[in-house]
Amino acid sequence: MTTKDSLLTDTAHVNGVDIAYVDKGTGDPVVLLHGFPDSHYLWRHQIDPLVEAGFRVIAPDLRGFGGSSKPQEVEAYDMRTIVNDVVGLTQHLGIARAHIVGHDWGAAIAWMYAFLMPRRVDHLAVLSVGHPGVFSTPSIEQRAASWYMLFYQFPGVSEQLLRRNGWRLFKEIMGGEGDHQRYPRELAKPGALTAALNWYRANRSPAAELRVESNFPPVLAPTLGVWSTGDKALLEEGMTGSAKFVKGPWRYERVEDASHWIPLDQPEQVTKLLLGFLGTERAVLPTRRRRL
Amino acid sequence: MSVGRAGLDQAGVDVVVVGGGIAGASAAANLAMNGLSVVMLEKQESYTDIVRGEWIAPWGLREAQLLGVEDAFGVGGSWEIREWTQWDETVAPDEAETVDMTRFVPGVGGPMSFPHHTVCELMAEQAEDNGATVVMGVQRAHVTKGVNPVVRYQKDGVAHELRPRMVIGATGRGCTIGRQIGVSMATSVHHWGGGVRVSGIDDWPMDVQAMGTEGDKMFMVFPQGEGMARLYINFPTTNKNRYRGPDGTARFIADFELDCLPDRGKSVYAAATAIGPLKVWPSVAMFPEQSIVTDGVVLVGDEAGNADTVLGTGLSCSLRDTRSVCEVLTGGDDWSPAAFESYLAERDFRMKRLHFGADIIAKLHCEFGPAAAERRRRARALMAENFAASVTGLLNMVPPEDVPDFGFSEFFAERLFRETV
Repeated sequence: MTTKDSLLTDTAHVNGVDIAYVDKGTGDPVVLLHGFPDSHYLWRHQIDPLVEAGFRVIAPDLRGFGGSSKPQEVEAYDMRTIVNDVVGLTQHLGIARAHIVGHDWGAAIAWMYAFLMPRRVDHLAVLSVGHPGVFSTPSIEQRAASWYMLFYQFPGVSEQLLRRNGWRLFKEIMGGEGDHQRYPRELAKPGALTAALNWYRANRSPAAELRVESNFPPVLAPTLGVWSTGDKALLEEGMTGSAKFVKGPWRYERVEDASHWIPLDQPEQVTKLLLGFLGTERAVLPTRRRRL
Repeated sequence: MSVGRAGLDQAGVDVVVVGGGIAGASAAANLAMNGLSVVMLEKQESYTDIVRGEWIAPWGLREAQLLGVEDAFGVGGSWEIREWTQWDETVAPDEAETVDMTRFVPGVGGPMSFPHHTVCELMAEQAEDNGATVVMGVQRAHVTKGVNPVVRYQKDGVAHELRPRMVIGATGRGCTIGRQIGVSMATSVHHWGGGVRVSGIDDWPMDVQAMGTEGDKMFMVFPQGEGMARLYINFPTTNKNRYRGPDGTARFIADFELDCLPDRGKSVYAAATAIGPLKVWPSVAMFPEQSIVTDGVVLVGDEAGNADTVLGTGLSCSLRDTRSVCEVLTGGDDWSPAAFESYLAERDFRMKRLHFGADIIAKLHCEFGPAAAERRRRARALMAENFAASVTGLLNMVPPEDVPDFGFSEFFAERLFRETV
């Protein structure tokens, strides 16, 4: 089952976990980060065209998903820990600076990676999920959008509740989008569902909500934001509002006829957007404050 | 995946399961999970839609939970159906009653409809993941019963032989293993049935299943989520060739244009696209004439005898069989026929009730014409007046032993059909 839906080439032990990943091609490195409840397989339509265009593609299964380790404790899924997985993986591969591309939770990781590790980021491309600063003051509309509801539901939802009646609740929440027929199969594997839910539990628990983080460092890398009109969960303002957190060149693209899963629904367009963006802009260099 | 020539003297195989359907694959998965050495033989090269049962009762799902194979249903494309609307030519479409099916078995929910082949495939994978050997594309399986049973089969033209401690025969209605060990079946055919899996019925409510009779056919719609469903039609034996020919599938789907459905069934007949083959079959009830347990061999599922498919309990029965047999095999070292006595007794009791219920359902819903319609109208009136009269329908929800006894009396059947007053 896994073998059919896997392009993985290797596994590395970094930051205390085993991370399985795709490493393909030579050239400027591009790191592709998937979201919930995907794996590297989300990027299956983009990997080869990027390789053919002269990039080295690194597409990991983030911890808790696919072929990577699935720690069962919630604390293991703190965003900073996961950012460190990506740092560790790129270091392991001898990559100092890469283009970072993320979708859904992977976009959230990409944003954080970009403002915590500005020197390790060449270009940044984020799909669906905007800068966390936009979310810290959600509008009424965003609160009503279903993904935002999920944000609040998943931390409290039990594995048992999602699994019961043939995964009926899970199927209702996911609808017929993304790899909806594959997800329950993956999540039914030992420890997989708990690991996936821990992403929400660790980062969107009520306690985490009370901690309002507002002093995000600016993103210096050239940044491409992509949002799809068929996203039932996220509002366009989440992405367009991200512009004010980006100090580098900012581009915004709206994709039509795509659900939340843009890389699956408009594969060619996503490839085209990435090829037309990665490596085309110049970053604002981080300034180091002189000691007096 | 395949047992090589070494299989000839492969020592230490505990159980060979012949047949990888719901019964066989669930047995293989459970036994392997419990540490037994299992080889499962399946005729198909790979699992495809060959039109088998795709509806499982809540009590069958409870059996799946007890066997530890419920996730194969959930992640193999199962869809929980919550309501049952009883459209019929004897009632106006908007007056048909709806039953909530989710509350009959605690901890289970409603029945499920699912693509049979993907669920079997996942159970087979589960068996393999737990150490079982699964051999696909098996031909000419042959079982010799005895204290030391022998299983011979061919794979890619090469002969193989296995000497397990026990053989589970689960080859379905063909009763291949049963015949080899000397079990014959008495059979009766009440009507014929046909089925096809479809997609595109996006306007059909996915929470709702339909079963009803109009004209010369009894129709069923079992939603599988995402606009998919399994459609069945039961029809008189005299008309068994009605879906023959190249446009049989189109005529089958067109037959869902029915006066008794809302909007004349437009959400089905005008929208459905077949996503699998159409198959028709005689709806046979089978009664074993010898014991289904003998030295070294035990039969389960349809191979052990089954009720008319119209009842829809075939898969649930299979899983109950599997659980009973697996409990014996994992519960102790005595695998002699005597150890299976409680299985035989329970199955005997269960099948009597299911046959009784299936006869009532078949007579009520799979007989056609004005007199039959009048009988249904009367029975419906009786059920509306006294809910207890729908007791037979409980067989689709709760296990047969939990259905009140009065539902299995001749008095009740006669009363329902008003043959005596």
